[in-house]
Order: sequence, then structure tokens, then C-alpha cells
Amino acid sequence: MPIIEVRNVRKSFDGMGVLRDICFDVEKGEVVCLIGPSGSGKSTMLRCINLLEDIDAGKITVLSEDISAIRDINAYRRRVGMVFQQFNLFANKNVLDNCILAQMKVLKKDRKSAQETAMEQLKKVGMADFAKAYPSTLSGGQKQRVAIARALCMEPEIMLFDEPTSALDPEMVGEVLSVIRDLANEDMTMVIVTHEMAFAKEVADKVVFMDNGIILEEGSPEEIFNDPKNERTRQFLSRVIKKEFVS
Amino acid sequence: MSLQKCFEIILKYWPSFLLGIRTTLIVAISGTAIGLVIGLFVGGIRAIRLDKTSPVSLKLFKRFIDAVLKVYIEVFRGTPMMVQAVFIYYLVYTNIVHWDKMVAAIFVISINTGAYMAEIVRSGIQAVDPGQNEAGRSLGMSSGQTMMNVVLPQAIRNAFPAIGNELIVNIKDSSVLMIISITELMFQSNSIAGTTYRFTETYFVTAMIYLALTSISSVVLSRIERKLNHTRTSLPQSDTNAHSMAIARKGADYADN
Repeated sequence: MPIIEVRNVRKSFDGMGVLRDICFDVEKGEVVCLIGPSGSGKSTMLRCINLLEDIDAGKITVLSEDISAIRDINAYRRRVGMVFQQFNLFANKNVLDNCILAQMKVLKKDRKSAQETAMEQLKKVGMADFAKAYPSTLSGGQKQRVAIARALCMEPEIMLFDEPTSALDPEMVGEVLSVIRDLANEDMTMVIVTHEMAFAKEVADKVVFMDNGIILEEGSPEEIFNDPKNERTRQFLSRVIKKEFVS
Repeated sequence: MSLQKCFEIILKYWPSFLLGIRTTLIVAISGTAIGLVIGLFVGGIRAIRLDKTSPVSLKLFKRFIDAVLKVYIEVFRGTPMMVQAVFIYYLVYTNIVHWDKMVAAIFVISINTGAYMAEIVRSGIQAVDPGQNEAGRSLGMSSGQTMMNVVLPQAIRNAFPAIGNELIVNIKDSSVLMIISITELMFQSNSIAGTTYRFTETYFVTAMIYLALTSISSVVLSRIERKLNHTRTSLPQSDTNAHSMAIARKGADYADN
């Protein structure tokens, strides 16, 4: 049984259909990349999985639970980590405190064991030396690596990435992608919304192409990138890949 | 008006002025502090947005509380503190208990300030990036935990200039509390002026004392504000980031060759 099962999901903002009948599956340990033009509903889809948005119709089943029927949202969110485009590190807390706050409040760990977990995760993303630094002193890439470590401290079963590199300067994209790549190699189940086509091609087990609130095509990276069936997919890919080539 | 007379008044009546200053500061500072606590509660509760999955009873209860708090804010912002002072003082005095005038004064100034603080805190909360709340919630923290640990500390820091402004306002506006004859600075000045018949000089001294008190407060407040901002930096990002520094150096090497 898939770990995430999205069935006929619809969602609209002020009458504008953002998600129009979305269906897809994510298997355990799988890396799924959602790609597509801006405004196609990729981020909204991801936010629905983490209950940051409610769906209007359809059904999302995660970890064999219908998430719209979940009573304890907080317990559910603990199991599903989320990384945002804008990092969203707690501005009033230093790197270490960013990583231990939820461990202490949600997992009820004591400070010492929370710190141990935090330092371990920070070491993994190469940010252990910055434990005492405040977010405002970090670069975008560093912030995003801390945000990933913070999410991992909760030992989630699924990680959701909402355009994790879109707000970064080009030279910092690599450091964040390499952290995500490491996670993929550890068989973490991940859903990644991204505009980094080369990266999607490399790490994804499955690529889902969305446009205008519907899934136009899904398949293995080879199928999507080398031999897209849909005319719209082909058009989109040729445009973005040409752009990547130029820059 | 003669400056010499002013000095004479100060020399002769300084103990009365000092007593007045003491009372004014006690009333203003405690009123601002208690008002801030009230404001944090009221503004915090008003800023809470319940989850869509919350039970209907809780949603209705929240609506009711919101309405009550809104009335509180409107009433206390919409009537003069002088009127609030006499009304509340006599209301309690004649119906409930013969209470101390100082207690009454601090009570009135606190709930009055609380009404303003509530709006300051609420707008401070709304100015915090919604992403901060989403990040807290996405880690599994409840809205209350996120509010207390993440949003409120940042809201207070954002709103600190406005919060400090309330202290300065209270130092001055506590003068209206002389209506219930507490011995604050304005009350003392009235008695000195009444004794000496030197109205201009006395009130000039009074004005200078108020100005000194508010100026000192401004300095202290801006010191605290600087301390609160230690988590912010004015250094440009590129100078704090080893990675981009390395790239900058590489660029320089390239240019040299």
C-alpha cells in the first residue's frame, strides 16, 4: 500500500480551481518530484498533504490514515516533515534552539537529549559549527540546511520540500541539493516540488508533471525527460532546459 | 515669570515634588507593566486563529470571548481615563469595598493601558511573517506553543517602540489621576501652587520635571530596544557567509591573473 495516496483532490481559492482532480501515489522510500510551471498547483498540493491547506473534495491517505479525518493534527505533522521555500527559521532563536524547540515541546524530550539529536542532524547538513548563530547571520543555503536539520530532528517518516532552492542564489543551490540527495540515498520518503530539472532527473524515482491544476504526465525520470508523451510537457521541458543551458 | 522664583520653589518644596515624582513613577511603571500583561493576553487571544478541525463549541466560545474583548477595548479607548478613574473608584468604593486610592489608581491605569496594549500586541503579532507560524505548526507544535515560543517573542520585539511609548504616555497621563487625589506629581504641584500663589513658576517646574522623566525613559527604552535586537544583524550577508566569501576570493584571484 502506498504511503501517500492522493485521490481526486480538488481545491480552489476564491472560485479559482488550483487543484482539479489530482491523483497520485508515493510508495515508501520513494522520491517523487513535482514539476511544472508556476501556478500549476504544485505547492498547494504539498501544503494539502501537510494540512496547511484544506482540500475541497477528494481524499488524501497518508501513513494509512485519511488525513481530513485526523483529530490530532499535531501528532500527524510530527511524522511529516516540511521544508519551505522561505526557510522559515525561527528568527528569535539561534540555530541550535531552532532544532530543539519542537523536540522539547512535542516529543517531550529533555534539553540534553534534544541537543544531542540536534547536533547530530546539524553535523549531517554541515551546520554544526553554526549552532550558536542566529538565522539573520546565515546565508540562504545555510538557512535551508538548518531548516532541513530541524525537520529531521523530529524523525519524520515523510519529508515534503516546497521549492527548497527557489529562493537561493545560484551558487548556494548545490549545497542544499546535496543534503537532499543524501536523504534520498538513506531511503527517506520524499515529495519535492522543484524547478531544478537536472536534480529531479537525478534523484527522483518518479516525476509528476502538473499544469493548471491537473497532472498531465507522470513516470520515471527517463520517461518524462527523455521521451515526454504530452505536448505540453515537451514544451515546458524544452523551455526550462534551454534556460538551464544558457545560464 | 521669574527663574529665580522657580529655584526658590524647588529649594523650599523639593520633598513634595519628590514624593509626587515617586507616586507618578510607581503608578506609570506598574500601570504600563500590568497593562502589557493584560495586552499580551487580550491581544494574543484575539490573534489566535482556530484550526478548521476545532470543535464547534470551541469556535463559538472563541467568538464570544472575541466579542467581550472587543467591547473592553472599545470602551476603555473610547472614554477619558479621568472619567474612568472617578467612575471606577466610586463604583467600587460605594458598592464593594473602601479601597485604597493608590490601588484604585494603578487598577485604572492598568486596564486603560491594557486596552491600548492589546491592539499594539495584536498588530505586532500580525506583523510577524506567517511562515514563522507555519514552520512551528509543521513541526507538530500546537498553535499555543507556537504563539508563546515563536510568534509572541517576535511580536513584542516588533512592537517594542509602541510598547515603550505607552510608558511615556502613562508618565504624563497619570496626572489625570489626581482626580481621585493620589499624591502624584500634578496633585503635589496643585498644592504647592495653592500655597505659594506662584502658579506660573510652579507649573513651569512641574512641566520641566515631566519632561525630564519622559526624556530619561526614552533613553532607557532605546537601550532596551538595542538589547532586544541582538538577534538581528546589520552585517551584509556576503560578509557573514564563508561560502560566498570564498567565491568572492576566487573571483579576485581570477581578476589578478
